[in-house]
Amino acid sequence: MGREDIIHMFPERMRERWGKTAEHAGSLQEIRLRVGRPETVMIDGRERFVGTDGELRDRPSGKTVCTAEDVDEILGHLCRYSLYAFADEIRQGFLTVQGGHRVGLAGQVILEDDGTVRNIKYVRYLNIRIAHEVKGISDPFLHGLYDGGGRLYNTLLISPPGCGKTTMLRDLIRNVSDGSACGAGMNVGVVDERSEIAGSYLGVAQNDVGARTDVLDGCPKREGMMMLVRSMTPQVLAVDELGGEEDLRALRTASGCGCRLLATVHGESLQENGYNNNMRDIIMSGLFDRYMVLTRKNGRCEVEGIYDRNGRSV
Amino acid sequence: MTGTAAVFKLAGVACILAGSVGWGLGRVGEERRRVEYLREILRIVRRMQDEIDYGKRTLPEICLILSECCGPLYGACFRRIYELTGQGDGAPVKRVWEEQVKACQAEAPLSEAEKAILGNLPQCLGMREEKQQARNIGRYAETAYESCRKAEGAYENKTRMLLSLSVLAGAFLTILLL
Repeated sequence: MGREDIIHMFPERMRERWGKTAEHAGSLQEIRLRVGRPETVMIDGRERFVGTDGELRDRPSGKTVCTAEDVDEILGHLCRYSLYAFADEIRQGFLTVQGGHRVGLAGQVILEDDGTVRNIKYVRYLNIRIAHEVKGISDPFLHGLYDGGGRLYNTLLISPPGCGKTTMLRDLIRNVSDGSACGAGMNVGVVDERSEIAGSYLGVAQNDVGARTDVLDGCPKREGMMMLVRSMTPQVLAVDELGGEEDLRALRTASGCGCRLLATVHGESLQENGYNNNMRDIIMSGLFDRYMVLTRKNGRCEVEGIYDRNGRSV
Repeated sequence: MTGTAAVFKLAGVACILAGSVGWGLGRVGEERRRVEYLREILRIVRRMQDEIDYGKRTLPEICLILSECCGPLYGACFRRIYELTGQGDGAPVKRVWEEQVKACQAEAPLSEAEKAILGNLPQCLGMREEKQQARNIGRYAETAYESCRKAEGAYENKTRMLLSLSVLAGAFLTILLL
């Protein structure tokens, strides 16, 4: 993540002003734009306000506020002046842009007759979340996910929200795909429903997900898993945030076709009191041989442990 | 002497006839170029419509496709638009489009209204749904189709008229000379 990546998110006329924010590219976490409010950025967990001249301040200067035209122009630029091409993503309230960054959107929603979201008419709030790949975070845990013969266990990552399960999954995919000391590289199929794993932009993965990885971007998990199994014959199938019986059924089919599985689910722990119904169904399905549990301790996220299907630490 | 004068007269007559027929052919060629331009504009607008409706491609992508499939009339123009807007330079598509298309059509044998079909096309961009965007572009396709149909219909008549006129003008000048 470099200065240029940040600069390129803004249209020509705004680039000079955002240059100073871009200097912090390495530690920049998010940029928040709200119409009629000062622009804020989050750098290393600390909120700063962007001044008229682009200087970062601890307090709002009172002069600089974001206008509707600014937001429209930035959104247009991020979508390459082709909002229609991103209609499905806008409908879900986010966009993935070049570099794998996620842009959250809010504003006035237009509904269909059946009450589903048709589009967002006036986008007035943007939250640009800067993607930072953390390569190598799964390296110390790989040995627990392979048997001695280089065979990958079906692995489920369990983590509370915001604890880095997608980041961990992405790095696992990269390691499995490229190969490591624990096992040779394998063909990995990724169903990336919300473009969070590969951060695909116009179909091209912006994050490093390995040399042998095929990504089905923006596709519902259930259909995506079946499509990949039929068309790309992956040796490993990876999906984020399992939920519902249909996902499980698709996983069972994929497993029955000989695919190894890598998946994540929201959860607190492997102990029964940390279960939710969704997680109970997944664990009871017996599909997974290894459970990697991520947890937050003293505000920091870490891997609590890797467990086998009997709950024993490995 | 009389023989030499007659040869000069014949040469003069030939030159006048050739000149006037050449002028006529030039005008016919210009009319043919106008029809070619209009056909190309119609092809471009329809291709844009399809790429948006079925392919959901972004405008810079569409410009790249057009740069490859358009003839020399517009190919370079779309390549330039793609280069200026598709590489993350931050230049707004509308501005770049208008500038480039205006420059490309500067010498085109088209009326201002015909030039505006492609030149003003960015004014209908910015829709949030592909069907709506394609429909909006469709209105430009209709205008292009109408212009093209009229120009094609008039082309044969104009060709005949221009050639007859040029031959007649040549004959008239010859009579005057003689």
